[in-house]
Amino acid sequence: MSERKGAIRAALDWGGLAPLRLRSRLVAEGVYAGGHRSARRGAGVEFGGHREYAPGDDLRWLDRRSLLRHERLLVRQFETETDRALRLVVDATASMGYRGSLAPGAKLAFAAVIAAALARIAIANGDPVGLTFIGGGPNVRGVPVSGGREAFERMVATLEAAEAGGDALVDGRMLDRALGGIARAARRGSIIVVLSDLIDLPDGAADRIAAMSSRGRVINVVQTLDPDEARLPFEGTVRLRALEGGAVVETDTDETRDKYLASMRALQDAWENTLVARGGRLIRAETSEDAVRVVRAVVEAVR
Amino acid sequence: MSFVTAFGLAVAFLVAMPYLAHRLRRRRADERPFAAAHMVPAAPPRARRRSRLEDRGLFALRAASVVALAVLGASPLVRCSRLSLRREGGASVAMAIVVDDSMSMRAAFSSASGTRFDRALRGARELLGSGREGDAIAIVLAGAPARVALAATTDLGAAKIVLDTIAQSDRATDLDGAIAMARALVSQLPQVDRRVVVLSDLADGKPDAPPLGEDQSVPVWVALPELRDGDSARDCGIVAADRSTSRVRVSLACGHDASASGREVTLRAGERADGKVIARGVAAGGNGGEVSIAIAADAPADLVAHLEGSDAIAEDDVAVVVLEAAAPAVAVIADSADEEAATGGAPIVEQALSALRLDVALRPIPAVPDRVEDFAGFVGVIADDPPGFTPEQRRALGAFLEQGGEALIALGPRAAAAPLGATLEPTLAHAVTWGDSKAPNVKGARESGAVAALSDAARSLADLGARGRATLAPEDAKAFATLLAWDDGAPLVARRAMGRGGVWIVTLPFAVGSSDLTLRPGFLALLDAWTDEARALAVPLRIDVGQPWMFASAGDLAVVGPSGPLPIARDGTIARVAPPLIGAYRVTLTGKTQTRIAAPVAIEMDLRPRAISPSTQHGALGDTHASVDVSWGVALALLALVFAELAVRLQRARRPEAAA
Repeated sequence: MSERKGAIRAALDWGGLAPLRLRSRLVAEGVYAGGHRSARRGAGVEFGGHREYAPGDDLRWLDRRSLLRHERLLVRQFETETDRALRLVVDATASMGYRGSLAPGAKLAFAAVIAAALARIAIANGDPVGLTFIGGGPNVRGVPVSGGREAFERMVATLEAAEAGGDALVDGRMLDRALGGIARAARRGSIIVVLSDLIDLPDGAADRIAAMSSRGRVINVVQTLDPDEARLPFEGTVRLRALEGGAVVETDTDETRDKYLASMRALQDAWENTLVARGGRLIRAETSEDAVRVVRAVVEAVR
Repeated sequence: MSFVTAFGLAVAFLVAMPYLAHRLRRRRADERPFAAAHMVPAAPPRARRRSRLEDRGLFALRAASVVALAVLGASPLVRCSRLSLRREGGASVAMAIVVDDSMSMRAAFSSASGTRFDRALRGARELLGSGREGDAIAIVLAGAPARVALAATTDLGAAKIVLDTIAQSDRATDLDGAIAMARALVSQLPQVDRRVVVLSDLADGKPDAPPLGEDQSVPVWVALPELRDGDSARDCGIVAADRSTSRVRVSLACGHDASASGREVTLRAGERADGKVIARGVAAGGNGGEVSIAIAADAPADLVAHLEGSDAIAEDDVAVVVLEAAAPAVAVIADSADEEAATGGAPIVEQALSALRLDVALRPIPAVPDRVEDFAGFVGVIADDPPGFTPEQRRALGAFLEQGGEALIALGPRAAAAPLGATLEPTLAHAVTWGDSKAPNVKGARESGAVAALSDAARSLADLGARGRATLAPEDAKAFATLLAWDDGAPLVARRAMGRGGVWIVTLPFAVGSSDLTLRPGFLALLDAWTDEARALAVPLRIDVGQPWMFASAGDLAVVGPSGPLPIARDGTIARVAPPLIGAYRVTLTGKTQTRIAAPVAIEMDLRPRAISPSTQHGALGDTHASVDVSWGVALALLALVFAELAVRLQRARRPEAAA
């Protein structure tokens, strides 16, 4: 069993997504073609709208009128002229190495494409980009926040070398190690994009990730699912072995498919509610989708 | 690898093949990695249960069908362990089956449930099952005394019926007698192939006797040698339990290498094993011995002795306690002081009885008892020239004779001079006379029953010197049967039956001074014959199981034992009843009921088998295996299995329709 797990983790199944550099540029250009607008929010002079108050927000921007009139805590946002760092958090745990029969590549590969495309867009706009992994193989290292062409190349190289590995259910501190640095160092107005399947994260992960939206940071989570995970297309009785946690389930998928999909929807709804409450957004994606649509959705979300 | 082994492997493969096919078809569910596996609810039960119920039922039916098919094809190879005869050239056989129904056959048969006797009976039935038309069968029982249960017959059905009536007994073993009897039954039959089949554990208490079957006149086949188990079987038992006023003496006996030492002997009220324990004692010593247990004066009358612990045979560990039964005794009424010739010591008749060393006790008493109770314990009374009997004596003596007692009365001058009121009734209705002996020579004896031996000694009584002789009244002389007579025909020794007993009359007194009768060998023969008859008529209280009780002049007789009423064999005026089981028997004779005991024979507890001659195991005599045609049964089973499979399949086919 461990050998099989090791084999899965050993190499990222890129499928039809590689080479990453070309693919990410293509995705990014596709987004540009869609009418890119560099929207920045934060401390500034031009009003940019309201959002729900999150603990840690600067009380200077609390909209007192809204509080008195609607009894709701809203924070006023302003467009800013300062750069906004993009912090990419890629889930590289073992479950992200999964590639179903309907997918062109593994979930991690798809997430890498999205991440690289977002990085290219950000760098093209002069924003610095940082990369952090949740879990991953032994050689997986994040990329500190930096800007410029070299930063993109380094990021692409890092993503290409990424291997799925680690069990976030077993190693409870894995998520904290990934998010801790961002929570401490991300500047106000930073954009945090988390790319994960959200499946094998420990309890409370949604709250901890959503909590990073404090201090004026914007949080977006891209749930990257394999089509198998989104639809459970198996037929008859199958034995399903989880890539994390070691669970093995024998089930008749014809009978349990609806229950599974309901559970998945409940999970997504829970994440969405948690994120929206903190001003964030959940973007659902399947690895069989066009990556351009996903990147465009992310860009639209942070705008 | 033999053919049978290869065949067995092939059958095993055929049985396993449907199962393997089932497993291959069923396959284990595909296992695949799936990140969200923990979100998928497990749902194996319904699908798996359906598969298990239907498929396993069909698999069992299919496997059973394959086995049945294989057995059907191999039915000639199916062999069962059972006895069967071997025939020389297919000729008919004359066979005497010796079934041992002795107590040792109660021991458990080591390789199967049941006793040795059960196995022997089963073996006898198997032998009868292999019999054919024309075979002659005789059945002899080896429990002592050996008996013919069925004389030689070609009716196998009758033999089977007789086998069904044979029951286990507690008798001793008489193998030699049974085999001799069996040989005699078949030796004269026209069948050329004759044999004696012994179904016994061969434990006849004579392990050192010559091997069985050495006489080759009719071959002996010891068909079930596995019944011999002298190594592990040990037995001890109670042979007697006698009660006196304050003690109960329990006599134990054990077989070879067995010991009752340390085993507890309990006295319980009633025959139940869980009855209240009245007293107890512990056996000491080695092989057998006696345990004396003190009891209270008010102890219950119906005590039963139990030898606690277990051994090979449980039936002989229980015995009914009876009042102490002493050896049979003879009361002698003789007065040596009246004799003219001094012999020194006891009267001459006592000395003669002692010299005969008979197994009777002598009890000299001064006069004939005048109470019936005083006759208890006596089998006979000898009165030498009694001076008549008082009315009380006459009544007591009459009752004694009616109950089976025996009297020997020597008539002399005192008997002839009986005082007024003292007659010789009930033995003689009239007075006797005493006079000179006019015919001193003895003529001879009549041949009659128990006194046949007396006729040989009659010659020693020739020229009998007597001073006188007693003469019976003609009416009395007619009532008596003369055994020895004077030359003139007058009786010297005469006998008549009275009730269940009898009276012997001698017309000479036993005093040496009156005649030299007591000095002749014929006198000893007379005493011996009279004592034998007295003992025979006195039914013993305890007897070895299997030996008969004999009752003289027993008109209304009934004997009820542990197994119910016993059949009574009558021979003239003598009735014989042989108790087959150990225990207490209620004997009802002319309205009076007594309890008598059948006790085990000590040598029967020796379970060592008798040696056998190698010829008794010759393969030509028979076989313990036989081929049995089971094809029809297997074919029926196969047919049933096929129908069962069809039914299951039909039921499965209807189920989806019903669900739809």
